[in-house]
Amino acid sequence: MTHAADAPRFYHFAAAFGAGGLLSLMVLFNGTLAAYGSLFFASWVPHLTGSVAALALLLFLRPKRAATVRPPLWTYLGGVSGALTVMLTSATMNTALALSGTIALGLAGQVLFSLFADIRGLFGLPQKMPGTRDYLSLALITAGSLIIIFFGGAA
Amino acid sequence: MIGFAALAVLAGVLVGLSRQINGRLALSTSAMESSFWNHLIGLIFITLAAMAFGGLFAGEPAASPWWAYLGGPVGVIFIAAGSWLIARIGAAQTAMLIIAGQMISGVVLDIILGAPGNPLARSIGVALILAGMWVTRPTRNRD
Repeated sequence: MTHAADAPRFYHFAAAFGAGGLLSLMVLFNGTLAAYGSLFFASWVPHLTGSVAALALLLFLRPKRAATVRPPLWTYLGGVSGALTVMLTSATMNTALALSGTIALGLAGQVLFSLFADIRGLFGLPQKMPGTRDYLSLALITAGSLIIIFFGGAA
Repeated sequence: MIGFAALAVLAGVLVGLSRQINGRLALSTSAMESSFWNHLIGLIFITLAAMAFGGLFAGEPAASPWWAYLGGPVGVIFIAAGSWLIARIGAAQTAMLIIAGQMISGVVLDIILGAPGNPLARSIGVALILAGMWVTRPTRNRD
């Protein structure tokens, strides 16, 4: 991959920010399921209904395949990693870490991995060297998130 | 405790790993197809795990409100968006902007749902996040 990722355009910006909003809704919906059923159930249901919804959208939208060559088999395994995440967070949430510690440490893991992934161009995605602005933005967003996680909850 | 902390960090790493792999699949197929495979393979994996450990239908799942079942379709759009974005703006930008959106919408949701919270800490946190977004705001001919 020679083409480095660009600085985000406005629609990228809006899409990513909007996706974060969707994530909040998912946490609310799936968390409510977990309050009534098991943790497995709270992850199993959205994966089941999500599979059906994605299949329906695929049949309806019929998006073009970007390449005629079949991608490597390991590229189909992203869902395993995602499903494992749910089980891990469910396990740590009930320890002394609680929800805030689980979220904060998960955030740290995600940020560090994504920086490493960009720098190395992991798994065949474009390589991207983070600049000063990226690190500054990252520090500000992380600091703001930690303040909300640890101090924003209790009155 | 250290062990659980490591697991919590690992959970975050797995979020990034999943997005990276799904993004690569989307490069060869499409964002929506990568979201479909993410959900189907995840479903198979969870089903096997639930069969091994048992207790999938424990509790009173039928008693949960109908809207709690909407997480799946929302997740389809969320995963597709991540797969589409990561190849275009990079993993770090994608992660940071999603986190920013999650935190700020989380505060808004908490206020709407009337969850108790510290207004000062919430305001400072949101302000810092907005400042972080401002730093990487889209502009032409930058750098």
